[in-house]
Order: sequence, then C-alpha cells, then structure tokens
Amino acid sequence: MTADTTAHDIEAPGVRIRDLTVVYKTPAGELPAVRGVDLALAPGTITGVVGESGSGKSTLALSLLNAVQPPGRIAAGSVEIDGLGDVLTLRGEDLRRARGRQVGYVFQAAQNSLNPLKTIGKQLLDLGRSHDVEDLRGLVRDAKDLLARMGMDGARVLDSYQHELSGGMRQRVGIMLALVLNAKVVVLDEPTTALDMITQATILRIIREVHEERALTTLVITHDVGAVAEVADSLAVMYGGRVVEHGPVTEVLGDARHPYTQGLIRAIPRLSGDLSLARALPGRPPTLGTLPTQGCVFRERCERRMDVCETDEPMSVNRDGRTVACHAADRHLTLVKRKELV
Amino acid sequence: MTVIVNPEGAISPEALPAGTTRATLRRNFWRGVWRVLRRKPSRMAGVVIVVLFALMGVAGPLLYPAQLPRDDNALYAPPSLAHPFGTDFEGTDVLALVVTGARYVLLTGLATAVITVALGTLIGLVAGFHRGRWDMLLMRLTDMNLAIPGLPLLLVLSTVWKFESPLEMGLVLGVLGWGGIARAVRSQTLSLRERGFIEAARGLGLPTRHIIGRELLPSMAPYIAMNMLIAVTGAVYAQVGLFFLGVLPFESNNWGVMLNLAVFNGGALTTPAALPYLLAPLIAILLLTLGIVLIVDAMDEIFNPRLREE
Amino acid sequence: MITGTGITKIFKQRGGVLGAREVPALRGVDFSIAKGGAVSFIGESGSGKTTLGRIVAGLESHDGGEIVIDGVPMSSLSHRRRQPYFRRVQLIHQDPYSALNPTRTIHQTLEAPLRLRARQTGRPRSWVDGRAAELLAMVGIDPGYVLPRYPHQLSGGMRQRVVIARALTMDPEVLVADEAVSMIDVSLRLGILALLKDLRERLGVGVLFITHDIATARYIGGDGELYVLYRGQVVERGATEKIIADPVHPYTQSLLSAIPVLHGLERPGAERVVPREMQREGEPDGGCLFARRCPFSTERCEHEMPVLGRDGGPGEEAGEEAGQEYACFHPRRRSVIPVGVGE
Repeated sequence: MTADTTAHDIEAPGVRIRDLTVVYKTPAGELPAVRGVDLALAPGTITGVVGESGSGKSTLALSLLNAVQPPGRIAAGSVEIDGLGDVLTLRGEDLRRARGRQVGYVFQAAQNSLNPLKTIGKQLLDLGRSHDVEDLRGLVRDAKDLLARMGMDGARVLDSYQHELSGGMRQRVGIMLALVLNAKVVVLDEPTTALDMITQATILRIIREVHEERALTTLVITHDVGAVAEVADSLAVMYGGRVVEHGPVTEVLGDARHPYTQGLIRAIPRLSGDLSLARALPGRPPTLGTLPTQGCVFRERCERRMDVCETDEPMSVNRDGRTVACHAADRHLTLVKRKELV
Repeated sequence: MTVIVNPEGAISPEALPAGTTRATLRRNFWRGVWRVLRRKPSRMAGVVIVVLFALMGVAGPLLYPAQLPRDDNALYAPPSLAHPFGTDFEGTDVLALVVTGARYVLLTGLATAVITVALGTLIGLVAGFHRGRWDMLLMRLTDMNLAIPGLPLLLVLSTVWKFESPLEMGLVLGVLGWGGIARAVRSQTLSLRERGFIEAARGLGLPTRHIIGRELLPSMAPYIAMNMLIAVTGAVYAQVGLFFLGVLPFESNNWGVMLNLAVFNGGALTTPAALPYLLAPLIAILLLTLGIVLIVDAMDEIFNPRLREE
Repeated sequence: MITGTGITKIFKQRGGVLGAREVPALRGVDFSIAKGGAVSFIGESGSGKTTLGRIVAGLESHDGGEIVIDGVPMSSLSHRRRQPYFRRVQLIHQDPYSALNPTRTIHQTLEAPLRLRARQTGRPRSWVDGRAAELLAMVGIDPGYVLPRYPHQLSGGMRQRVVIARALTMDPEVLVADEAVSMIDVSLRLGILALLKDLRERLGVGVLFITHDIATARYIGGDGELYVLYRGQVVERGATEKIIADPVHPYTQSLLSAIPVLHGLERPGAERVVPREMQREGEPDGGCLFARRCPFSTERCEHEMPVLGRDGGPGEEAGEEAGQEYACFHPRRRSVIPVGVGE
C-alpha cells in the first residue's frame, strides 16, 4: 500500500452494534459480561465508552474485532461495519485481514504491548508483511509521517527499542501502528491510563487531530470520564455489561439522566465546583458473579430504586437523540410530559 | 467507633462467622486441598499411587518374613499367579522384593528431599532477603555446592561408609543437592521483597523472622512444595542409579540392587528369563514418578487461596 | 510534627562509557507536616514525589538534608534507634492489590502488627482482636465480613481501606499516601479521600498526599498545603485552594491546564498553558529546570536558576498573599482551570 491520499476521500464508515451479548464461562455457568448492547457509532465521530471495572467495556471493544478469547464467547448479536459487513461472521484469514486494515486497535497499556526484542521499525515491517503490503518503503514513509504528525522524530523512533521510549512515546507508537495500514475504524482501549497529566492531554489532543485529519470513526474505551469528555463527541456509559446511557457528550455530562451517570459525575474529583456536593457512590462495582440476573443491574447502588427495578430490566428508551435505560428516569420524563399536556 | 463515609460493602449477606482461629483456617485449608484434588481425576490417581507407595514403605516389610522364602526349584520363574513378576536368581518372589525394597528407596528419597529443600530454602531466603554481604557469602557457598562432582565424591565416600541406613544415604544426597533450590529461592525472594506487602511489613517494624516465615515463605509455598516432590523423584533416581552401577556396597534389599543383579547377573538385556526381574523395579520407579508428577500439577492451586476456593 | 530541610537524593544510573551518571531526584526540598495537617506533593513521573514519600517513611535513604521527627533529627540516631520514629510514619501504597499478602486473611494481616503494638504498649493480647475490628470499622468496612476473607475476595476500594487500617495499627502520626486512589474505581475514589480527611479530623493523623492529579488533593481537606515538584525541585508552594485557583508558576499552570474539562458541566479556562515540548530524560541542569518547555521563558531563564520564595516570591507582582511561593522569574497569574457552566 502506498501513502495513498485517496483514503482521505472515502467517507468514514459507520459501526452498528446490535443486541450484542458476550458470555464468560465460569464454574457458576455462563455469565454475561456484555448483555444486549445496542450502540451505533456515527461515521466520523469519536464515541467514548465509560465504565468501571466489571462494566464490560473492554469485552465490548474486543467484540469489535471479533477477538473475544475463551473462556469468553460472543453469544448473540452483530457488529456491522460499513464496507466490511458483520464482523462477527468473519472467520480465519478474512478476520485477520480486517484487523489492522479496517479496524485499528490500540491495546490497553499499549506501553507494554510492544515487542521488547525488536525495534519499532522491525515490528512495523512485520505488520506490513503479515498484511501483504507490497510497498514497504511507502509503509515506512507513512509511519514516519504519522510519527512526525504526533511530534516525534520518525526515523529515530523506528530505530528504537521499546525501552528507549517513554510511556507517552510508546502510546503514540501504538496509535501509529493502529493507523498505518489506513484503518478507518479505530478502537483505543484506555489510551491514557498510567500516563502523566500533561502527557495525557497531549495524547488526547493528538487523538482528536488525527481523527479529524484522517476522517476516522473512533471508539475510546476508558474508566476516566474526564479523558472522554475532553475528546469524544458522544458518550456511552456502561454498567454491569449494559449501556445505561448514551448521547452527545455535553448533554450526558451537563444533564445526566441515569442515576449511575449522575452519581459517577458527582464522584469525579474536580478542580471547580462545590466540594460538599461531591461524594462517592455507595456500594461497589459488580463483578460477573454478583450481577443480578433479573431487574436493573444498578439497583443495589441506586438512590432512586423502585419496586419495579427488582423484577423488570429497564428497556433502553431513545428520546431526542439520547438513550437511557432506567425506570426512574423514564417515569420522571413521562411525568414531565404529562404535566406539559395538562 | 462509628462507621463512617460510604461504608463500602457494609452489607454482609453471607458474612462468615468471625471464627478465624488457626483451627478453622487449617480446616478450611484441608477442605480446599480436597476440593483441588477432586477437580481433576489425574490428581486423584496421583494421590492414590503415592499413598499406595507410602503404605508399601511403611507396612511392606511387615507383610513378609524377615528372610524372604527361596524356592530353588523355580529360579527365574516366569510370571504366574503365585509370582506375578516371576522370581529372581534364588527363586525369591520379585513382587516381594519390590515391596520390601520400597522402604529404603522411599525413605532415602524423603530424607533427601527434606534436606535439600530445607537447606536450599533457608539459604536462598536469607541470601535474597538480606542481600549485600550475606548474599555474597551464601551464593559463593552455593556455587561451591553446585560445583561438587557428586558421583566421584560418592565413590570415594562409599569406600569408607556403607550407607546401611537410608537416612545416611539421604543425608549425603541432600547435602550434595541443595544448590539449585537455593539459587531459585533466592531469585524468587529478590522479586517478592519488592512487593508492596513485604515493604509494608518492614515499614510496620515487624521482625525479620515474621517477614521471612509468615509473609515470604507462604508466597513461595507452591514453588517449594513442587521442588520438594520433584526432589523425591530425583533422589530415587540418584540412589537407584548408584546401586545399579554397583558403586555402593549393598547389604539390604533395594530396587537399585534388583536392577543391578538383573542386568549383570541375570543377563536381562540378552535373555528374556530375567526380564520380569528387571521390569518390576523399573515399573515401580515409573509409577512413583508418575504419581508425584500428577500431584505436582495441583500445588499451584493448593497454596493459592484464590485458586483453592474456585 | 515532621519537618524536612534541604532533602536531596541522587540516583546513580548505570551505563555509558563514562560510567555511572548521576541523576538528581530531589534537589533540596523543604517541607513540614503538622499533627493532623495535610500536605500534598504534585508532580509528574520523574518529579521525585514518590522518592520523597519513601524517604519520609524511612524506606529509602537520602543524600543530603535532615528529617526531624518530633524534634529529633534522624541523622543523630543509629539505624536501629531511628526505627521507632519512622514507625510513626506509615506508607499507603498505590497498588492495593500488591500491598496485601494474597496468602493471608485480613485477620492475619492485621493481627501481626497489632500483636507487636500490644507488646510495645504493654496491652494484653486479648486487646488485639477487638482493636482489629475497631480499626476496620473506623475505615468504613464491616469487620465481620472482611476479617475472615482473603484479599482476592475484596474489591479494590475495600482493599485500600484494609491497607489504611493496617497502617493505623501503629498509631501513626503521619500517613504517606502515594497515589492512593489512582488504582481505585472512579466511583469509589472520593470515599477513600473522604476517609483520609476524616482520619485527619478524628485521629489527628497528618497526611502526606502524593499524586499527579491535583484535583484529588482538594478532597483531603481545604486547609491543606500544596507543593508542586518538578524534576526534584519545589517550583510552587502554598495553600491548596489558593494554588489551584491562582497558580503562578507556568509549570503549575501547565499541570492544571492538562486536567480534562467536563464539557457540558464546565468551560475550559481562558488562558490554558501548554508546554512547548514533552519532557525528556537527561535534560541539562543549567538555568530554570522548566525553561526549555516553558512557553514564557526568556534568555535569563536559560542561564539562571530561580529560587523558591526569593525569585518571584511574595511581594512581587503576583503573590501578595502570604504563604504562596514560587520559583519563577516571570510570575503571572493565569486563569487556567475550568469554570463551571452555571457560574
């Protein structure tokens, strides 16, 4: 592949996740880590997925590559990517090609996912060969361009071993490797975890800029609401394997409707705002084994819990571009609507 | 004291009774061991084999008269109902020889394993934990131990020492063989001592005895247990080998002695008559090794509370 | 009361044909933590903040300066005589997963130091169990639930509370909390911070809080003091709320500017400062340490090293308020932190 500029003219692909369920085999039977998730990534946008430990966010990210490892198994649903079809039906060679070519993935702790025994350049060439890139020179040129774009000396970086690079530099190398084959859908799993504040800000800015320049569709997975707020267009909040709220980032943060989102925002240490209003969520994040099998997954920590939450799982309700799965939020809105009618 | 700020997990749905006495912990531990062993049939098979050998070692000699009966009419008799593995050159039942010979072999193996592991672990722990001068000294000692040529030394020793007691044999093999374990334990200790909980123990001012004995040692328990089991098999091979080579003078009944006599006196390698006599001790050694290897597989889960409790 | 004056630490790096290279991790840091006080050290990796915490906890030596605990200079004591003093400072590790021994129950973990404490204070052994339960209740967890359990059966937040309870067994004067919430789930972080604040108020324990996230420093108490460390030097110091609201040193401003803005809830500050370059290893030491990255540096900054309090200290353009000090030749207030949308 050459440094083909035509790629920039192609429309960014859309991604539609439908009714995705991923289960893990445990001694207690198969338990769902992701359950009935519907999520659409609009072409050319950055979607942030926020969740704590056990929310299923990393499993969701892996599903986009159809890369869930045993004991995990994708039990139901589809992941459709424009120009590629349903990723979950791809097998073998087709799947391997799709990874890297169409879907770039920056792994969690990308700082540690480089091979310590090979220079970055060697790893780049390995990547090129495994995807049958004929013009390896062009590939190296692309890589250097990308690295320069991210403020690094490409030639020097390609000659380096991973231990010669700082955490922030490795993270950028990870992004370069995910993009160099001209993938149009990019998944970043915890791209800034374990980085310093200033480095994090730099990486987030780079993600945003590269995203816009290359017309990508980007998914950022993180536990850090702040990081997502800074970079994403829309925000999906996951809890206990469910997407409980999804909408434009400013609206979700400015006017959260799900009690979990509200509690999470209140629990973020911030530079501004009243200290006395800040408080941690009671209880603790669920694990696979402690997830309730019926009713709302959040009810044990919820301050607006009702009887119906014990028995019925709240449906995702879409209203003016925002999705919320909560009985209380639902009722609240209906009540408002009724009042307006009267 | 009041409970304050966001008592996370203040609800205790399945709160265990506060019984955390040693006895309860020990009972839970053994329950866990049983659970781990039951998880795979191979482990149970290993346990059965090892228990059988242990019984053989303890009770075996009691089953037979001190002087095993000879049958001059049935020298090198082929396997039969009366003699499942045939007889030897004197017409003695081979099975009886294997059973009565087990005690010496197993005792030696056990003694060797205990000594290697005790010496190796102690030296490795002290060297790794104290570092500096102690480390230097103990590791040079370890190097020397590793450099001792075992076989020639045993040859020399056997000219003055008869090794009548299996414990003497085990002592010699153990004192010769702790170097490898010391090395490995030291490197484990070096990496463990950087862990948060060891540093916390030092910060709390807990005595070194506690840190080494209660914090470091249990973390290495699976490793030590595995080494111990493998040391048993190593020691069995070593001594059987020595007897087989005829390096050691033999007075008592022993698997190695059987092998030696089968090959060098019975010509088991050339004539089929002595073949059962050769195979019986070999099978015993293989079975014992197999049993131990099958159990080793469970060690990680036994000593890790998370894996132990599923 | 713990004070440190002129603490320096030099790490020797191996490598190069010229042999060991000396890297200063701390360059003469002064600080003091009063009973029940809160002092936060902020900085990026490589700032020396973790090293400082370990020195204060007695887990690492230092090459220059003096630590004084309750009026006793530590350099005057033998290694053995120092131990009881450093036991009054307990370190809370960043990683609650490695800080607890996986093979020991929480009961065992608390029992060992409590027995030691009982011996030291002449209490009967029967005191130990009651005290263990008391400490766990104090850190907000149910003793009946936690005591018989192993660490792997607890969540990260609970483990960190157990780690704090274990530190309290020694009745410490100061807790050194090194990134104590960075590995805890976001929804639970404030709980741990509130706990530290509560322990300050109820037990009079001082807290030395080490973090790269300035925002968390606000939550361990409004009366806290903040030190901004850059490459081993304190570049700005003052009341926490004051420095967050009115940072003067460009490095502090860069740190604050880097904190993500919760769009929808807040607007970015008007004068956010972005450093010119990323931090590099092995930078030269001449002049201001931040000069190469600073967007406002001048000729003078390249050659002269500003001193905390003297250069640009109180009295100059920016910092009239007593107590706020900084090491910068060109101090200027900038509004860099996000502003709430409602405000």
